[in-house]
Amino acid sequence: MLLAAPACVRVYHPLRGLADPVVVDTTRPNLDDARISVHCIPGGMLSVGQANQLCRKVQTLFENQGAEVSTVTDAYRRPDDPFAAPDAAGDDDDDPGDEEDEEDDRRTELTLEIRAEQVHRDDHALSWVAWTLTATLAPGVTERTFAQEVTVRDPDGFLLATRTLEGRTVRRSGAGVWLGNKLADWWWREDDDKLTAENMDRDLSHDLYGHMSQLVFDAKLKQQVLERDVVRRR
Amino acid sequence: MVVFAILPFLQLSDPAPSVYRHRDFSRSLVCIRVDPTRGSQLRPGQIRPVSPRGDDGNRSTLVCSQKVLREGLRAPVDEAVLSSLEDRAQHMALRVSSLDPQLRERAWLVETFYDHPQVTDKITFATQNALMAQGLSVSDRAPSLGPGDVEVLTRLSPEEAYPAACERFHATGSLGDADALLAVVRLDRRSTELHAGLCVDGQWRWLP
Repeated sequence: MLLAAPACVRVYHPLRGLADPVVVDTTRPNLDDARISVHCIPGGMLSVGQANQLCRKVQTLFENQGAEVSTVTDAYRRPDDPFAAPDAAGDDDDDPGDEEDEEDDRRTELTLEIRAEQVHRDDHALSWVAWTLTATLAPGVTERTFAQEVTVRDPDGFLLATRTLEGRTVRRSGAGVWLGNKLADWWWREDDDKLTAENMDRDLSHDLYGHMSQLVFDAKLKQQVLERDVVRRR
Repeated sequence: MVVFAILPFLQLSDPAPSVYRHRDFSRSLVCIRVDPTRGSQLRPGQIRPVSPRGDDGNRSTLVCSQKVLREGLRAPVDEAVLSSLEDRAQHMALRVSSLDPQLRERAWLVETFYDHPQVTDKITFATQNALMAQGLSVSDRAPSLGPGDVEVLTRLSPEEAYPAACERFHATGSLGDADALLAVVRLDRRSTELHAGLCVDGQWRWLP
């Protein structure tokens, strides 16, 4: 029973938000005119370490699309945040870095906040009783529903876009489920459809990062439209 | 042994992928997790509402329905826009109705700029309905411009074209003093966002 205990099959099921289509191609330079400060806020499902890890992945995601990205893993900007507002006294300096500053000024500045929480957990107690009585041949089922709250703001804090991305993971444990799944994988499933941990992680990452990219791109476009409108009406 | 191997997959009501439930099938469902109150509204008779004496435990239900059209029949962008069109239209109408109270007296025209003609009609119709639901008077009339104006406008960038078109609508009398135009625009092929622009008395502005 102890030997069979770690045998399990995990599957991912996209819910609200995550199941919607994404149009933006994350391999293209969609954000080459954007500067993004990514705030991964610990709490809920995210420990400080996980928030750091998530921020690093999101940073790579947006840098691959041409954005200039900084990351913050607490709710507030660190004093050494390179994109923190400069001191007023420093603005008048006429140094050689000004050209670079001008180029930076043309970038649309956005702040992305990411929070994650578990909205539901069900351990299916009866399934675990059966799991014990059948020496792990019957499955023990645990399911979790998570929600990622993604918010994009402009430098003044104006809300440009927000979206809740919900998904669930179902973990079925036991020798019976493991064997049944392995047989199905071996017998009739295509490689992409196999219920493996790698495929689950791939699907989840694809959905999550695709929707984040779409949300940030839409927010950037909105910010640019509103900015130009203000300039035109002056 | 075989029975036990099959047992895990006998959770017939679970929409998550399994031996007999293909991954694509699970993704073709629209599922939301709801509390008993919301669940009993969505599926009366199937989901028990909260008892007046309270529930034991923290109960929630996964409610699923099939998408209106099978995956792949509509372009992803059309699917993204149409699946949330009601919310988008209501949001735009709410913005409009919260503007200057004097604008409420005007006749509202709706013009949609979108790549697909059938989706364009749906967006226009939904937006008109949402405006009417806010108590605004809506006109089916579409503002028009002469061929010369259109030729000039098509050479301008979108940032210049919409304000210029608005000026011309007013100057030519196509959009009168008692009218207001709400333009619904998709500005980029990579975007799923519909932007709302307002043309009143020849003045153009984008709504946040």
